[in-house]
Amino acid sequence: MPTLTGMGRPRAFDEAETVRAAARLFADRGFDGTSVDDLVNGLGVHRGSLYKVFGSKRGLYLAALRHHLDHEILPLTAALAAVDHPGTALSRAATGFDGGPAAGLLLLAAAERAPHDPEVAALVTEGLTALERTLGDPALAPALVATVLGLRLRARAGGGTGADAALALTNQLKE
Amino acid sequence: MAHVSVTGDTLTVEVEGLDRLWALKSRIEIPLRNIRGATADPGITREPKGLRAPGTHFPGVIVAGTFHRDGEKVFWDVKNPELAVVVELSDEKYTRLVVEVTDPRATVALIEQALRD
Repeated sequence: MPTLTGMGRPRAFDEAETVRAAARLFADRGFDGTSVDDLVNGLGVHRGSLYKVFGSKRGLYLAALRHHLDHEILPLTAALAAVDHPGTALSRAATGFDGGPAAGLLLLAAAERAPHDPEVAALVTEGLTALERTLGDPALAPALVATVLGLRLRARAGGGTGADAALALTNQLKE
Repeated sequence: MAHVSVTGDTLTVEVEGLDRLWALKSRIEIPLRNIRGATADPGITREPKGLRAPGTHFPGVIVAGTFHRDGEKVFWDVKNPELAVVVELSDEKYTRLVVEVTDPRATVALIEQALRD
């Protein structure tokens, strides 16, 4: 049974679920496009609790990006490490974490917040480096990850998943 | 309206003009280590404020002074909700400060930069 403490009421929400849902909102609208009102309404959490637990909207954003890395990017890269064919790995990287609406958070963070926020930049670098490691040849990997991001950006704008393009690219590179 | 500045390891909030009268307070100093973050949050003024003591609350006109709600003590100085910035604190008399500033985005950037340095 929850008890009241001198510092106010006990937290009445599931922190992990809140962070997961926040990642979806931020992935959809970006950092600046998501207001505290959007978070309060979308997460069903009291404003005071949000501030008390995360300190600021940025604090919640950092937690959401960390969650995105830990639960989507890094598991994907671990799975890709077992794929032998580079073209398959590339096309899966471009499409593999499209399953949920939070898929675009890394991409959006790279474009929107990383240039202004060193902690976001460090998380983005961690995600991109993990992707690079799974795409093989260290000389080519940065360009391949750039391709993955570009294909995902097109997919976000309604341009298809780009899986075929990724396969075609690696087939060209092998020749 | 409040002026927020950082000198050394201290954040200073100076309440300006007549707001000093309404808030019954003109200056708050917070060590940076007790600041958890800052957020531009126009929507917060629509939330229940709790009991004021001491301070002034003319709904829709001004919220100024110290308000108590759910065991939290919050300092308010806001007339224009669009310009409200929330500064979350720890180990301080106040749980958070909600103050109106000239440029919320710049104030949030100033505080975040100070916390990084």
